[in-house]
Amino acid sequence: MSRSRPGAIRSRVTSLLRRFAEISGVDRVLIALAALGLSVLVGFFIVLGSGRVAECSTAAWTMPITGMGFCYDPFEVFFVLFNGALGGPFYVWEPAIFNPEWLPITLPWLGFMPGWSPFNNAFALTMSETTLLVFTGLSVAVAFRAGLFNIGTQGQLVVGALLTALVVVALAPLFPANRVGGVILIAIGILAGAVGGGVWGAIPGALKAYADANEVITTIMLNFIAANVAYVLVLEVFRAEGSSVVATADVPEYAQIGPWLFPPTGDFAEAALLIGFVSLVALYLFLEHTSLGYDLRVSGIQPLAAEYSGVNAKLTTVRAMTLSGALGGIGGSIWVLMSEGRWVESIPDLGFDGITVSILAGNNPLGVLPAAALFGVLKGGALQVGFQTDVPPELVGVLRGLIILFVAMPEFFRLIGKRLVPDESEVEPSSGDGNDGDGVGGTAAVDDGGEASA
Amino acid sequence: MRNPLSAVEIPVVDRFLGDGYVRNVMVMTFGSLALLALFGALFPESVAGDLSGAVFTGGMVAATARIAAPIVLAALGGIFAEKSGVINIGLEGLLIISAFTSIYVAYVLGDAGILTGGNAQFVGFLAGMLASMLLAFIFGIVCIEYKADQIIAGLAVWLIALGLAPFLSTVFFGSVNTPGVGNIGWQYSAAIVTVGTVVAWWTLDHTAFGTHLKAAGENPRALDTVGVSVSKIRHAGVILSGVFAGAGGSLLALGVGRFGGSGETMVQGKGFIAIVVYLFGNYNPLGALGAGTLFASLDALQTRLQQLGYGIPSSLVETIPYIVVIIVLAFVGRTRIPSAAGDHYETEE
Repeated sequence: MSRSRPGAIRSRVTSLLRRFAEISGVDRVLIALAALGLSVLVGFFIVLGSGRVAECSTAAWTMPITGMGFCYDPFEVFFVLFNGALGGPFYVWEPAIFNPEWLPITLPWLGFMPGWSPFNNAFALTMSETTLLVFTGLSVAVAFRAGLFNIGTQGQLVVGALLTALVVVALAPLFPANRVGGVILIAIGILAGAVGGGVWGAIPGALKAYADANEVITTIMLNFIAANVAYVLVLEVFRAEGSSVVATADVPEYAQIGPWLFPPTGDFAEAALLIGFVSLVALYLFLEHTSLGYDLRVSGIQPLAAEYSGVNAKLTTVRAMTLSGALGGIGGSIWVLMSEGRWVESIPDLGFDGITVSILAGNNPLGVLPAAALFGVLKGGALQVGFQTDVPPELVGVLRGLIILFVAMPEFFRLIGKRLVPDESEVEPSSGDGNDGDGVGGTAAVDDGGEASA
Repeated sequence: MRNPLSAVEIPVVDRFLGDGYVRNVMVMTFGSLALLALFGALFPESVAGDLSGAVFTGGMVAATARIAAPIVLAALGGIFAEKSGVINIGLEGLLIISAFTSIYVAYVLGDAGILTGGNAQFVGFLAGMLASMLLAFIFGIVCIEYKADQIIAGLAVWLIALGLAPFLSTVFFGSVNTPGVGNIGWQYSAAIVTVGTVVAWWTLDHTAFGTHLKAAGENPRALDTVGVSVSKIRHAGVILSGVFAGAGGSLLALGVGRFGGSGETMVQGKGFIAIVVYLFGNYNPLGALGAGTLFASLDALQTRLQQLGYGIPSSLVETIPYIVVIIVLAFVGRTRIPSAAGDHYETEE
């Protein structure tokens, strides 16, 4: 009977979508910020606590009033984490605060370190991680929007990366060894990565659509399969001669995506970030302003309504997973063409980190960039924490988990908000949906976290 | 899809397994083993002969028991949580935290000279269960009281444990890998898995608590109507998942004698396999035991094949269980998750 009135249903679904979008706007940003603040606060106490049990000859930090000594200085850790990710622009922990030498070089009133330039290796690492996470984050986000939990971005990235490396190495002799040939090879390589990842993503999509196999499980399984099969293929067939690790031959230098301003040692290329940004905007426009994107979102929120209003749910599932896989595959291409220059066995967990990026971004493509940047900073900063302090850099892993935990519980911030700010606009908290009260709660929590950590 | 084996009748087992799907899993597991034994006995010179020689050895049983313990126990925990209506995808994290805690406590006790050897290991085992229980309790509060998305919160539990265990190991021991505390025999793993499975099966199917638990996942409103608190039952389900997974994680680490924290830690996705295993066993503890044992024996078998010198790369053999899972999910049968799993429940006034 509903089939006879697709128009009415469509408008109802549209209003539903609009309401969903409103919840996910400002509130989501506030919740994300509150989660960040709160996890830094919890991380602060973890550092403090572990600094109490660790053994050292002199205390790195002494608590005021109590005179209690701690092996780790929690303020320094978080300062190094964020400062180190940018390559150390701020000099707070240096003795030469008032050294006049840097006065003519940098902007002293901003407190920048003498000789600091944004184009340094540490910042390049942060940016490189950010770029890769944009792709894997988008990959997870687009599947989420279609109501699918793609844990398989990691496997799609592995397959895409391998195909990119193999195709580019195989086709390199056919093109002139110059800029033009390089650009053509890069384009082909990215296309190969998208195809490889797309096919690998389409498999769980088709299994979900036509055999009703849970995509969470099949994608986890396909991750293991991708990693193992790719490893064996490279080990047995495509291994570069004389290579001590299991890796393919190098992609020729001119077919790699190189930096414009950053040092070549930093493994970051601005062009790659640009490709990521373009993909991000394109995906946003696709989801919000095309009928295919609309179908995809409706199947994510109201699968039954989608079916009634004439959306082919099975095909939409396969399409969403293919698109998701293709984005993960492109992430693999960029990893090969920008970071490594070849496929090598020790592939970082970019796909899993993509899940955390997407969750933090509220599965909105526009949120993926700041979320990826945050995790890029955590990654780049972790290395510096390892170099400059005694605190194990694994701390960053804990922070990552805490952020996701707090993002998952908006209700928590709502309750805090209610307690801190007496509610004037008594809104019925129906079925756990967010309302305007969230915003107030979120802000209050952010302020708490900020004060404690600064 | 129809499974051709569903028509096969098994006289004794059918009384225990009222569930056709679980029976299929059991029949497939034991059927393939029997077939292998038969071919091995008939053609001792062939590959089948080698295979059955590899399968039916003491070493194989020991290896299977060791590998199966964390998988089956975590799967049992997952059943309790999900039957009560809370999907616990953080089993991996519970395994990691209990694995680390058991070794840490056993080491500290031994180092301080308070307890040594088996006693220290036993206390370590309990401590691992306690740590996992605590983390599960926090997860329960986040999901039940603060209505968090269960999948995302479960993922957070995994990520937190994945960061915390190597972090603490580095703080205490200066490395993500702990020093050794001596390993326990595989018989403990086998015994605890067996006891755990029977206890889980009995609790779910033959106690009032089990009935309440299943009602909380299937029809929380009905449970509420008869005056049982849904959130209390769900908390109990989640805490029990911590107890079982904790036993599994402790056995995993104590079976090796130390905790390895590099990469994805020594747990290496066993918590995720556990989820597969209980879905595979259709939320039946006996089915989970069958599926988990099947998985573990395939894993143990590929290690054994390496030793026998078959020229198949180990990574390729390792993929067999994963491919089997996909094929089974797609073609043999599908499981039905509890209807209220993943939903929040608001108590009616």
